[in-house]
Amino acid sequence: MTDKLALVWPEIWLFVTTCVVMVVGLSPDLRVRKLCGWISALGLVVAIGAAVPVAHAGGLFPSITPYAKGMIGVVGLMLLPLLAGTVDRDLDAAIESGKATFSALRSNRAEFYAFFLFSLTGLMLTASADDLIWLFLALELTSLPTYIMVTISTRGTRSQEAGVKYFFLGALGAAIFLYGFALIYGATGTTDLAEIAAAFRAQSEAGGLNTIGVAGLAVALIGLCFKIAAVPMHMYAADVYQGAASGVSAMLAFVPKTAGFLAIIMLCGAVGWTHGATHDSLPAPIYILLWVIAAATMFTGNLLAIRQSSVKRILAYSSVAHSGYMLVGVIAGPGSGHGTFWDNGIAAVLFYLLTYGVTNVGTFAVLASIQKPNGEEADDIADIRGLHGTRPHLAGAMLLCVLSLLGMPPLLGFFGKVGLFTSAISAGEIPLVIVLGLNSAIAAFYYLRIARAAYLEPADEHVETRAGPIPQRVFAAVLSASAVVLLLTVAQMLMERSVTASGYHAPHAGMADTPHEALDLTRADD
Amino acid sequence: MLVLLILLPLLFGVAVLLRPPAAAKWWALGGTSLCLAIGAMLVGRFFANASPDVPFQAQGSFAWLPALGLNLSVGIDSVATLLIGLTLLLGPICVGASWTAIPQHRARLFYGWLLVLQAAMVGVFAARDLLVFYTCFEFTLLPMFVMINEFGSTNRHKAATKFFLYTFTGSIIALAGLVYTAWAVGTRATGVDGFTLDIATLTEHASHVLTAREQALVLLAMLCGFAVKVPLFPFHTWLPLAHTEAPTAGSVILAGVLLKLGTYAMYRFVLPLVPHAVLEHAPAVAILAIIGIIYAGLICWVQTDVKKLVAYSSVSHLGFCVLGLFALNSAGVTGSVLYMLNHGLSTGALFLLVGFMYERYHTRDMREIGGLGAKMPIWSTFMVFFVMSSVGLPGLNGFPSEFLCTMGAFISHTGWTSGAARHVGATWGPLGPWFGFAAGTGVIVAAIYLLAMVAKMVWGTLREPAVHHGEHDHHAGGPHLPVDLTAREIMTLLPIGVLCIVFGLFPTQTLIGAIESDVNAQVAFVHERSGEAPTEHEAHFAQQEHRQQRDAGRDEQIAGVKP
Amino acid sequence: MTLADTDLHSYLPILILFFAAAGFAVANIVLTFLIGPRRDGARKSVSYESGMNPVGTARKRFNVRFYLIAMVFLVFDVEVVFLYPWATTFGNLDPQSSHAGLWLFRILFFLLTTVVAYLYGYRKGVFRFD
Repeated sequence: MTDKLALVWPEIWLFVTTCVVMVVGLSPDLRVRKLCGWISALGLVVAIGAAVPVAHAGGLFPSITPYAKGMIGVVGLMLLPLLAGTVDRDLDAAIESGKATFSALRSNRAEFYAFFLFSLTGLMLTASADDLIWLFLALELTSLPTYIMVTISTRGTRSQEAGVKYFFLGALGAAIFLYGFALIYGATGTTDLAEIAAAFRAQSEAGGLNTIGVAGLAVALIGLCFKIAAVPMHMYAADVYQGAASGVSAMLAFVPKTAGFLAIIMLCGAVGWTHGATHDSLPAPIYILLWVIAAATMFTGNLLAIRQSSVKRILAYSSVAHSGYMLVGVIAGPGSGHGTFWDNGIAAVLFYLLTYGVTNVGTFAVLASIQKPNGEEADDIADIRGLHGTRPHLAGAMLLCVLSLLGMPPLLGFFGKVGLFTSAISAGEIPLVIVLGLNSAIAAFYYLRIARAAYLEPADEHVETRAGPIPQRVFAAVLSASAVVLLLTVAQMLMERSVTASGYHAPHAGMADTPHEALDLTRADD
Repeated sequence: MLVLLILLPLLFGVAVLLRPPAAAKWWALGGTSLCLAIGAMLVGRFFANASPDVPFQAQGSFAWLPALGLNLSVGIDSVATLLIGLTLLLGPICVGASWTAIPQHRARLFYGWLLVLQAAMVGVFAARDLLVFYTCFEFTLLPMFVMINEFGSTNRHKAATKFFLYTFTGSIIALAGLVYTAWAVGTRATGVDGFTLDIATLTEHASHVLTAREQALVLLAMLCGFAVKVPLFPFHTWLPLAHTEAPTAGSVILAGVLLKLGTYAMYRFVLPLVPHAVLEHAPAVAILAIIGIIYAGLICWVQTDVKKLVAYSSVSHLGFCVLGLFALNSAGVTGSVLYMLNHGLSTGALFLLVGFMYERYHTRDMREIGGLGAKMPIWSTFMVFFVMSSVGLPGLNGFPSEFLCTMGAFISHTGWTSGAARHVGATWGPLGPWFGFAAGTGVIVAAIYLLAMVAKMVWGTLREPAVHHGEHDHHAGGPHLPVDLTAREIMTLLPIGVLCIVFGLFPTQTLIGAIESDVNAQVAFVHERSGEAPTEHEAHFAQQEHRQQRDAGRDEQIAGVKP
Repeated sequence: MTLADTDLHSYLPILILFFAAAGFAVANIVLTFLIGPRRDGARKSVSYESGMNPVGTARKRFNVRFYLIAMVFLVFDVEVVFLYPWATTFGNLDPQSSHAGLWLFRILFFLLTTVVAYLYGYRKGVFRFD
């Protein structure tokens, strides 16, 4: 039990930070209130520090936590400057000019930062989950705050619409995967992931997997598609990303997606990549399901993105497509287990999540740094046209980030994609690799539009934009763009870490019989 | 020294971005000239030390991403050295050609990307690692995209997008093929531990581990990428558009070097990695090449836009290059490599001449303009000279390459493998006299359309556009150009002209002698390896064995760790 | 199989509790009906609605504080749901065992979060009724 506590110290630190932020953010003194961002940053740094040394935990992926939590913390730190000034800007301005006094009920700063940290706490808990109940609670803790963050991120009705849409579809998704979890429990009689894995293993050795269990897995995976914005649960993405403030959209593109992929990896790990004719793939129904989802997600995301004129919608659909790419890694599985990166699909997914998270912050940060005359953030592709003339550093950041998302060598995103390529080829998934390649090419079409608008084209005469009021967001954009290049110097280390993280503790059938090491309270009676 | 040649242009590119726009072209000229000087030393040193036992010189390697088997390794053989020399020579020429054509306020963007492009092109030829090659190969797209998109003429956005999408799509499929090869070597070849992208290792083992079916698929994937780049019929449609819209320097680089990336990649990867499939499918590729030669030639015949004409002539000429390569004998492959160099020189010069004329008249329509012989004597002299070089007039550089390619196809014969009667002088290879004959008609077509162009442009009565096509906004306030070529413009053409004569008169002493041993070794390698590919059963067995060895190795490691 | 063979007999107390509760409710109604005094009138016969006048539209705006108070109630109510089982089992722990301290620490940490919730509510002005 105490082992488990040691595992969740990062989450505990984040939670304590959340408590502090929640109270500090309501101080009547504006200067104290403005400390929220810094306190959150400090909390994240401490959480990273607490996460990295944890070497070994239980569960199917015993070493996943340091890498996953470190990644979550780092991307969280990059998101913080981007989220700065999302809420309370009008109120602060009114107070500073003496037009209003501070009203705790009208201020949203405390809640905003607290929800951000809550969501990251949930995400970290997802990484350390070893039980279906834990997994469900962690996933919900990740998602629930984001519903509210979307709603309060701007004062327009659009974000309210987005919030409501996101909430209802999120509830639907949660219901679906919870139903799946219930079926899995019904088929295996336990909620512990390692025991589920052992039970599945025993079933398959005894002749075949329990149909209810496989159905449960399938239902759970479909439900999790909501989190990663994959077909058939991708419909909300464009509306929600567009309705929310850019900072929150950037967060939505990383936080729930990471949670979803961690959960998908764990569920797939529970049934294991030990089925099929050559004993190296997922069970046929799950394999076919994921294959279809991956291919459909790639094509849907990319083809829909081509038709958009709003940069946010393009990025939303591209985020859908990136989920499809990563599913290829999940299908490929952990490979030979020789501790190598190139044949390890899970390591490729984990590495890709990092590259995607880091890069994505930059694209949204550029949008958030530009303001239209009516005070809204830039959204349409016309708004970023001519950026190179007025703000060359932002145009450069946009160019780098977009090219990295496109997978242009030698930027960070390229190596993420190469990892998926090599692992899928090692697993013999040649058709899927072709689909992946074709989609990367389709993606070039709309990424080039963004890059060209920001970096090459002259500004439209009737579209007027100016620098946004939050300098931190420019910092976030530049930070992300430099990370796209500078992380290359440590790419080897990151790949090694992701390989360690993907270390898969393959179940053996006997495990289900081992006595459960729980605290027996009744024994103390006599 | 090689690494310096890649890094130096990048550094100068940064310098161009940081210095004021007025200084941009001077920095670019300085950077490219310095690189040319270093490159001349490199070429000199290479051939001074050249010996058949050490095909690759100036090797260097830095383990960067062992997790992906990625080493930053470089090295050059004679073919790569010559192509690097060509690239570096065209550098200062391109800067000189753009001296007045690029408006000053956009000069930093143009010259900065030009330098980046040069670094990437050198990188492609110098790479000894698959991912280094691929990175540089892909990275040539971006500078070219910027150049066409920003400094091109009216239809430039469409041209730039089409160029980027065509080549990007193709090369991703090619990457899949190359990675598949690397995977097969990494999991089947004995003595190779894990995934490697080292080109030498892959070349050594690939043909031993890939089954016939796999070789065919990998060949198809690689051709998707490289044939688009060449471009081979029917993937050529992006090229005339890109050429017509690109600025002069862009066209020169595109024709001079970028197209050669495709043929160079075929020479470096397609032939040695999948020789069995190459032998089997060479006739199909050769037929595509011949269709390209004749079809593009016929299109040239009816062109009125002189730049488009030169662009289509590139498609036609590169068809010879591919044909020679897939003849798989010494004559053909030597001719093909010569073609890469000579086409770069003469077509590059033709694009320069068209560009100089366009800068003066702002039209390229041969119905509006012609008979310039009297008005621009120097320009016309160069025009006639380079057209002759392009047609393949004996004594100029175009002739030996075209002749060797056609001859290679003619004498290449499968009789060697089938045991049928051999033709006199026939060497081993998959093509035959009919291929040579068909390609030969292409030579005639080329003579027709190029001479027709010269007749319209140089001779006859003087035709000038009625009105100067307005003041092009790029040129508002720019320096006024004299009627005929300036000294600067002559300086850009002169070195190419001299090389055309030297390579034309002494091909054996210069180029052929330089590449002979490497090309013969390559042909012999393909020859030796193309005989048989492993069966699926053998490949499967090799994979099992390899896996067992790795498992055993891991167990030993674990046993070694435990006391 | 008889009833005695199953575990069902252990649910007997619940059944008894169920009947006791139902009986109590029914008994009250019946007893008031029988022994209570009767004073009918117009006001007495209208339906009861928390002391408010049951006339007018149901879509009436009322103070947002009701929501806040409802939320605060939930926070402290749910807390009791956690506290109660903890309290009933904590006594069973061996005071010497390592578990005891841990379990005490846990509930203290949990209570700390309620303190934070309280502080947050206080700062937000939930408890101010002006």
